[in-house]
Amino acid sequence: MALLEIKDLRASIGDTEILHGINLTINSGEVHAIMGPNGSGKSTLSYVLSGRDGYEVTGGDILLDGESVLEMEADERARAGLFLAFQYPVELPGVSGMSFLRAAVNARLRDAGEEEVDQLAFVKMVRAEAKALGVSDEMLKRAVNVGFSGGEKKRYEILQMALLKPIMAVLDETDSGLDVDALKIVSEGVNALRGPERGMLVITHYQRLLSHIVPDFVHILAGGKIVKSGDKSLALEVEENGYADIANVA
Amino acid sequence: MSPNSAAPLIENDTPRDAAAKRFAAVGWPGKSVEAFRFTPLDSLADRQILHGTASGNRSTKIIDNAVHIQISGGVYDAASSDDMPAGISLTTLQDDTEAQAALFADLPETHPVANLSFAQMSAGIQLSVSADAADDTTLVLDYADGSETSSAFPVIIVDMAPQTRLRLIENHHSAHGLSAPLVHIRMADKSELHHVRLQDEASHSDFVALSQIQAGANTKLNSFTVSKGAKLARCETHLHMLGEHADMSLSHIYLGADEQLLDITTRLNHAVPNCQSNQLIRGVLDDKARGVFQGMVRVAPDAQKTDGQQMSRALLLSRDAEADAKPELEIYADDVVCSHGATVGELDETHLFYLMSRGIPEAEARALLIEAFLIDGLDQIEDPTLSEFLTDAVRSWATDATAS
Ligand SMILES: Nc1ncnc2c1ncn2[C@@H]1O[C@H](COP(=O)(O)OP(=O)(O)OP(=O)(O)O)[C@@H](O)[C@H]1O
Ligand SMILES: [Mg+2]
Repeated sequence: MALLEIKDLRASIGDTEILHGINLTINSGEVHAIMGPNGSGKSTLSYVLSGRDGYEVTGGDILLDGESVLEMEADERARAGLFLAFQYPVELPGVSGMSFLRAAVNARLRDAGEEEVDQLAFVKMVRAEAKALGVSDEMLKRAVNVGFSGGEKKRYEILQMALLKPIMAVLDETDSGLDVDALKIVSEGVNALRGPERGMLVITHYQRLLSHIVPDFVHILAGGKIVKSGDKSLALEVEENGYADIANVA
Repeated sequence: MSPNSAAPLIENDTPRDAAAKRFAAVGWPGKSVEAFRFTPLDSLADRQILHGTASGNRSTKIIDNAVHIQISGGVYDAASSDDMPAGISLTTLQDDTEAQAALFADLPETHPVANLSFAQMSAGIQLSVSADAADDTTLVLDYADGSETSSAFPVIIVDMAPQTRLRLIENHHSAHGLSAPLVHIRMADKSELHHVRLQDEASHSDFVALSQIQAGANTKLNSFTVSKGAKLARCETHLHMLGEHADMSLSHIYLGADEQLLDITTRLNHAVPNCQSNQLIRGVLDDKARGVFQGMVRVAPDAQKTDGQQMSRALLLSRDAEADAKPELEIYADDVVCSHGATVGELDETHLFYLMSRGIPEAEARALLIEAFLIDGLDQIEDPTLSEFLTDAVRSWATDATAS
């Protein structure tokens, strides 16, 4: 079943159209990768999917689990099961990490008509997930992302994903800034969430990540359009030859 | 009230008569008076001077094990107050001519609140903390009740003996048309005061407070005010460092909505060398609210090694809100470290999006960010119990402000 359907999606920032008609369907259980040159619109796509203000959809549709999300605010989309791991996670000085994580999890539970978790149970739950992702207790005590290294921020994104258990996760360059060991840990965290009920869209520049998180499909985004799709071998091709040939084909 | 102008001071006027005449001579200052340029008080002339009466009710307790002092309807209500613990005495000022004269000598000559409140003195009490008082004593001054037609002029003197330590809470939640509390605190050498104040008066109220603090040598002050109630509120504090090595922290948060005007005015007087003062001011303004911070730091010619820090930040939640800041440094000594800064900003859309992208509803996300903006302010409060009291007050405001 299609978890995410992107249909002829056009989107603009201000007066500039950045996405020029994107079509992409992700079925449950599938992992898709998007690769593409800098500035091709990958992060723009991720923001449009998550409903960021200022990213205007001018044509097409986005269906999450069969429902259009275009009229939904960012928070509603998230509670409907969409998750974005940011390319540049945002520092929130003064916002305690624990209250942030708890507010997010409870918002989801509230929506689902379930009981909110109490503080103690929550701390236990977070500690367990954090440990598996190599997120230290010390990091958990700090304000959200404040003073985290680049790699630590990425792990913290995956921790949030693990806690929120989205049905559709978009990971925007989660591998950038990660050292070899962290890449392995984070990939394991992502793979642990792979399952028949979940879909994933992994944005990356490097085949390296895709050898850990093996995708079912690979798409090349160039100039705001998907110019080529294939299986995992397409990533290898990009790694070897760059985008020049592919862009020429398109 | 019409000023019966130019009544001459007579030799045998009492100090209170003299104060009444001083007030009558000029009345409430309008915006032509520099110190009241942002917050003119001439509209207060329409408020009638009508003392209230005690309701006989005791306000609900806010802190465990605190000594409760009830000011109700602007009047000291002994029956609804606790007995003072060992080492602390409460005396009334009404018939204490000596205490009145001493206070009068310390009042600024032309300040409207100093003069009017002292002259009117709907309640007058002196709290004297002696060396026999327990270190962990908490006094609560609870200002309650009143109506739109009543006015309150409580005069409170706090006298701390050397080496004493006190926690003092001022909880203002009355409903007078006009409240003008005058508080005078004397900190003898090596005394330590932890002070918090919540101004949460009724939405029809005008609130103009003048607090004076005289700090002796080696004193320590940790004072924090949250001002969020009233229609017009001015919290003015004059802090005089009169002995060396005074360590003073005097911070404020103001939280305004609708058409509120919230004014924080401080005058710090570094009269002697080696004192340290730190002021942190945080304001959040919604709707058409206005915030004013005026901070004057004066460093006397021989007050070398003064360390005076002042930082104000305002967060505007609406395009119609406005914040004015007027820091003033008057430095006559050369070997000092003084700084001040003022910023005005809005909530960061990127921050908001990050929170919402995690499923947190917009109102809750905004409340989290407002609290985050205020947290380094609240962090200034050293005493955990006092901190909790004000943190709750701030949190409930943030939740209300974002709910609409
Ligand atoms: N706020 C903005 N205003 C105007 N143009 C923007 C804005 N944000 C992005 N763009 C433009 O949109 C295009 C796509 O940017 P986007 O960030 O989506 O690229 P990307 O594929 O994620 O690149 P990278 O690989 O470097 O992360 C770029 O040309 C960029 O300059
Ligand atoms: Mg990008």
